[in-house]
Amino acid sequence: MGVLITPTMIGQVVISGLLAGSLYALVALGLGLIFGVMRVLNVAHGPLMMLGAYTTFWLFHWWGFNPYLSLLITMPLLFLVGVVLQHFLVRRVVDAPELSSLLLTFGVSIALVNLAQLAFTSDLRSVEFLTGSFIAGPYALSKPRLAACAFAVAITIGAFVFLRSTRLGKAVRAVSQSREVAQVCGIDVQRIHLLAFGIGSALAAAGGTLVAVMVAIQPEMGQVYTFKSFLVIVLGGAGNYPGALLGGLLLGLVEQLASLFLTTQVNEAVAYVLLVLVLLIRPTGLLKGRV
Amino acid sequence: MPPVLEVREAVKRFGGVAAVNRVSLSLEPGRVYGLIGPNGSGKTTLFNCITGVDRVDEGEIWFKGRRIDRLKPHRIFHLGMGRTFQVIRVFPELTALENLLVVTTSGYEEARRRARDLLGLVKLERLADEFAGNLSYGQQKLVELARVLMTDPDLILLDEPAAGVNRTLLNELLDAVRRLRDQGKTVLLVEHDMKVVMGLCETVFVLDHGEKLAEGAPGVIQADERVIEAYFGR
Amino acid sequence: MKRGLPIALALAAIGLTLYPVQATGYGIRVMLQLFMWIALAQSWNLISGLTGYVSFGHVAFFGTGAYASSLLIVKAGWPWPLACLGGGVVAAGVALVIGWPCLRLKGPYFAIAMLGLNEVLRVIASYYEGLTGGGNGLSLPTLYASVQIYYAMGLVAAAVTLVAYVILTSRFGLRLMTIREDEVAAESMGIDTLRYKLYAFLLSAIGPGIVGGLSARDQGYIEPISVFPLIMTITMIVMVLFGGKGTIWGPVLGATVLFAFQEAVWARFIYLHQLLFGAIIVAVVLLMPRGILGVLQQKYNLPRTI
Repeated sequence: MGVLITPTMIGQVVISGLLAGSLYALVALGLGLIFGVMRVLNVAHGPLMMLGAYTTFWLFHWWGFNPYLSLLITMPLLFLVGVVLQHFLVRRVVDAPELSSLLLTFGVSIALVNLAQLAFTSDLRSVEFLTGSFIAGPYALSKPRLAACAFAVAITIGAFVFLRSTRLGKAVRAVSQSREVAQVCGIDVQRIHLLAFGIGSALAAAGGTLVAVMVAIQPEMGQVYTFKSFLVIVLGGAGNYPGALLGGLLLGLVEQLASLFLTTQVNEAVAYVLLVLVLLIRPTGLLKGRV
Repeated sequence: MPPVLEVREAVKRFGGVAAVNRVSLSLEPGRVYGLIGPNGSGKTTLFNCITGVDRVDEGEIWFKGRRIDRLKPHRIFHLGMGRTFQVIRVFPELTALENLLVVTTSGYEEARRRARDLLGLVKLERLADEFAGNLSYGQQKLVELARVLMTDPDLILLDEPAAGVNRTLLNELLDAVRRLRDQGKTVLLVEHDMKVVMGLCETVFVLDHGEKLAEGAPGVIQADERVIEAYFGR
Repeated sequence: MKRGLPIALALAAIGLTLYPVQATGYGIRVMLQLFMWIALAQSWNLISGLTGYVSFGHVAFFGTGAYASSLLIVKAGWPWPLACLGGGVVAAGVALVIGWPCLRLKGPYFAIAMLGLNEVLRVIASYYEGLTGGGNGLSLPTLYASVQIYYAMGLVAAAVTLVAYVILTSRFGLRLMTIREDEVAAESMGIDTLRYKLYAFLLSAIGPGIVGGLSARDQGYIEPISVFPLIMTITMIVMVLFGGKGTIWGPVLGATVLFAFQEAVWARFIYLHQLLFGAIIVAVVLLMPRGILGVLQQKYNLPRTI
């Protein structure tokens, strides 16, 4: 191959990996919540993220709204969208065979993506807000990635504080572990389902907002995140929320490391191969998960 | 006579908890055994380990002289072991007859005949072409039992056969079990209904918190203080 | 009803065989595509309708067949009928390689694995430029054979439907269904679920493989995006869900109705069309999960094997 790998390159890759990974972790946590609480694989997760990105874009485009400030709008907005989806659609298939919820969210994802195509067209959009990099020693840290990481970490910490310390959060965890027991304990499981889908969507939206500053926005942008979020959940263990964080960081690292040795095209296949390997060797995830 | 089933120091963990903790038992052919214990004592997990649905983390399981704890359930089934489930698992969209047909690999005609015979044995011939999902709870239980008998297994594991079943049906079930024993088959059943266990089983194993607490004839077990404690507390 | 079906089928077969005699080139093209969709939908039904293992990446076999047979024509000089059969074989081979590890996974995890498959194959096709022409695509020698391809497609559609009929009326089919109903129970009752899933998966890949080859031959040109389009997977799924998964005629019905719908709407309003497909999937899952035939089956107590 004839490429000399220096420690600096490794260091750069690790940093880039962690930055990217924090974003994966954020979005995957949303998916993980939905799966953990309802056992629903939300194929529409990527499109929800896409909607968050578009919202940020239009706010920026029309009113010069600070993209990072728009988190205050996109998160509640998509929270509501998630609640609506759950209440009218997903709720009916939660108890059906998993095949049904899979197909349902698949249908929703197609509908959302094409709604976006019709409403926004497939023209590429971008949010030119933050560009350039900090130079710290031999390392270049992309500013938008740093900002995204900072917010992702903050929001994720917020989510965990919610899960650990608030009554509602504990209720969410209870339902994730056992719906029957939670019901017996007087927890309104329907409300928790709504909440989980809402929060999951909000987290996806947050990811979309943060990513909007960095990449081209178009209706299909979320698809790859859906798949990678699944991968993270599988890596970290289904229903294991801290595991989603570790899985996200791990994915970010592996991808960046792979980019050192492989061309960008084959890079996409890396995530896939990783998924199949993990599913075969340790389907309960690298940490203990509930399959 | 060599034992038909031997479980040696089986351990099965879920997360950090040992659902089955160093359990050993040995079953002689041609007898009826009972497996009892309070809820959560590991009975169904042990069943799952024996039939291959779950894999033991430690220990060995031997069936008719062969080690089976690493085998897939369908292989174990074909070696001559059948089981029913605590929650009925008939195939709802298949008819009662089809539920039995899918089990064997023998010729279609032969299988049909045997299936009809077995359904007749449990008095369900007239419902042979009814979708299993449309049958009553008790009828589904009988279909499950008939299904298990399709390949003439040597060891039959019954998980709570008496649960939710009315008196008449229960007596038929018990008769069926006695007939099986008389044919030289071995039966191991998990049960909560003490009358069934005491009346039917020659030896009873008691599990508590995943460990084997006691083993012996029903009368002895009933009087054992540890068993009483396990069920009713101090 | 029972007497009528074979007669209706015979009449339809005669009609379709004679159709090219007085049809326009466009008409032949349309029917050719309908046959293709029937073959695709019916194939998807074999794995996903019967065993309940949702294959989101089934178009991968279509694309594989397209490339394999086109390469056989261009690089090895095979006649196109043989090359297309070769495409089917290669597709089955890919199904074996993918299925062997992935079918061990539980249903939802299998679905996730299949989601990514499509993208990976597209990437591979783009990457190996030397072989496949990469992003520039692959051109086939010019050939005017629409009528022959029409018959070939029709044959494949009929063959796959026949396979579905044979399976659904056999114990093999019953065993596949037990996997859908309760896989743990099936495994405990002596059914080697991995082997059966694998058989179904292989069978379900041959049809798309052959049809992919035929389609490529008909178009005369293929490129990665055109033979691995997500919309094809979506369409296959909608057709089977709408018509009735797990039945014999459901996929045929769904393919026919939705193809007609597609011809009317798609050409002009592609995004609206896809949006509607998404909405149809949602509606079917919520309101009639067994599809049209399923509803009819329940209402009129029809047998399972229609």
